[in-house]
Amino acid sequence: MSLSLPRAAAPRRRSTRPPLVPYLYLLPFALLFLVFVVYPVGYGFYVSLHRWDLLAETRPFVGLEYYRNLFDPSTPQAQFFWNSMRNTALFTLVSVPLLIGTALGLALLLYRPIFGRAFFRAVFFLPGILTVSVMGILWRWMFDNQIGLVNAVRTDLLDLPPVPFLSTEGLAWLPIVVGTVWWTVGFNMTLYLAALGNISQSYYEAAEIDGATSWAKFRFITWPLLGPVTLFVFVTTVLASFQLFGQTLVITAGGPNRTTQSAIQYITEEAFSNNQFSSAAAMSFVFGLVMLIFTFLQFRIMAKDARGES
Amino acid sequence: MAAPSPTPHRTAPVPKGLQARKRRVPRDLPRFVLLCLLAVLFLAPIYWMVATSLKPETDVIASPTQWVPLRPTLNNYREVLTSPDGNILRWMWNSLFVAAVFTVLHVALCALTAYPLARMRFPGRDAIFWFILGSMMVPGVVTLIPTYLMMLRFDWINSFHALIWPGLAGAFGVFLLRQFFISLPRELEEAARLDGASSLQVLWHVVLPLSLPALVTLGVFAFMGSWNNFIWPTFVVTDIDKLTLPVGVNTFSQRYVTEYGKLMASTAIASIPVLIAYLLAQRYLIEGLSTTGLKE
Repeated sequence: MSLSLPRAAAPRRRSTRPPLVPYLYLLPFALLFLVFVVYPVGYGFYVSLHRWDLLAETRPFVGLEYYRNLFDPSTPQAQFFWNSMRNTALFTLVSVPLLIGTALGLALLLYRPIFGRAFFRAVFFLPGILTVSVMGILWRWMFDNQIGLVNAVRTDLLDLPPVPFLSTEGLAWLPIVVGTVWWTVGFNMTLYLAALGNISQSYYEAAEIDGATSWAKFRFITWPLLGPVTLFVFVTTVLASFQLFGQTLVITAGGPNRTTQSAIQYITEEAFSNNQFSSAAAMSFVFGLVMLIFTFLQFRIMAKDARGES
Repeated sequence: MAAPSPTPHRTAPVPKGLQARKRRVPRDLPRFVLLCLLAVLFLAPIYWMVATSLKPETDVIASPTQWVPLRPTLNNYREVLTSPDGNILRWMWNSLFVAAVFTVLHVALCALTAYPLARMRFPGRDAIFWFILGSMMVPGVVTLIPTYLMMLRFDWINSFHALIWPGLAGAFGVFLLRQFFISLPRELEEAARLDGASSLQVLWHVVLPLSLPALVTLGVFAFMGSWNNFIWPTFVVTDIDKLTLPVGVNTFSQRYVTEYGKLMASTAIASIPVLIAYLLAQRYLIEGLSTTGLKE
């Protein structure tokens, strides 16, 4: 074992006083961290316990009133907030399997050599570089009620009537989900491609000698060995889906009738359009707590799964 | 260190014995056709964007649909670029400026923080590290409202300060660099220390040059994060000249609700710089992503 760095360097300066240098290094980060990470959390909670009107002189303490409102079904806050939470959960439920399945499918199609592989990889990854507003405008146009590409194909090629996707409850999710898959699937695909490349071929050779079908090889070799990546992809994709904001804002603006309004969108509406900062702060704490519980559960369940299978 | 890991197996697997070789051609053809179909689906929105942006407004809504622009024109681009409702090039510049400043400060700050956490011994080090790491568990939305109220108090609304400072102290960057610093051999540092170098000199002349892959990875993440940020700038910047690109383009979308020719021209302009950057950096970007945090 070699001497550790601080010890090796210390002799000149080592005395009884505690080391100052490391704390000097940490100082800039510590200041920013305290001001912009630690303090806002406490401040946000403080705000949620008071009636925070930007124009009012006083900000009276109201305790848990804003939290109680969220659990009182007669208040509009409770209705709209839980509606937006349901929408976010629905989006997550639908989009996550699609984002993982499609990514894995594309990776399986691409990981063995094939003509033009680099080109295909680039094409599937490409949409991810666009900013969310460009992506949203693009898919709003694709699904435009009258003349978008999807309706153009319906009317001009298939001789079907146009469908008003964007203003039909339920159908309005189509451009949002399809657009999101198109936009982000390349990222997950890339992670899967790297993982597939790391699986040793000797497993497959052994299986082939035993006469395994491709499905059997996938089921008993590929899928289990992809476990850690799938865990990573699953957790990051769920967290990203919870953050749903830009897609619905740009594509449907949360409509029709708030059926596609996401949780963050409603929280920001409550704060910046209704000037209800305390109410919005309370909502973000509830939302944050739900996210936290989900993250925690995912790690627990997935960790258990990984142990059980291996 | 980013490049080699996926490569060896990529070329290795193909033929093992004669049967494999005989099967290859018929088995690969459907796969290739499927990939081509998928590529067409993935490129369709991009094609439709470019095609629409080149049509005069009457042709955009023409029936039957014009699959290719029959009377191509650059009018939409000209109008968007000279629009009195906002200057798209200005927004691009704002985004670039904010993202560049943010990236440099963030990487420097994280390196400065990660170094003592990885290489020095002092009371409270582990507690500090875990406290920083724990902050990753706090969902961003929790600090959104209070930070906005702080920006009001600082008078930073409509100022680039609001876009740069609040996100700088990110735990992920500290974690990434600390892990990388720990993996570096100590010998070089010790040699430098024995020659009388200060710890700052060691960091600058020894540790950072050795950590270039990690610094670049973090830099790319920081830049992309700032460049694509949408939620925060939407609320903290309202002054039309101070908008960043994603937010600015979205104001166009609210203004030109039905003028898709102009909207598509603006999205095309907004995409061109990232498209060029992507084509140049594609290999490194994809490989960097696939090796980050997924070492088995």
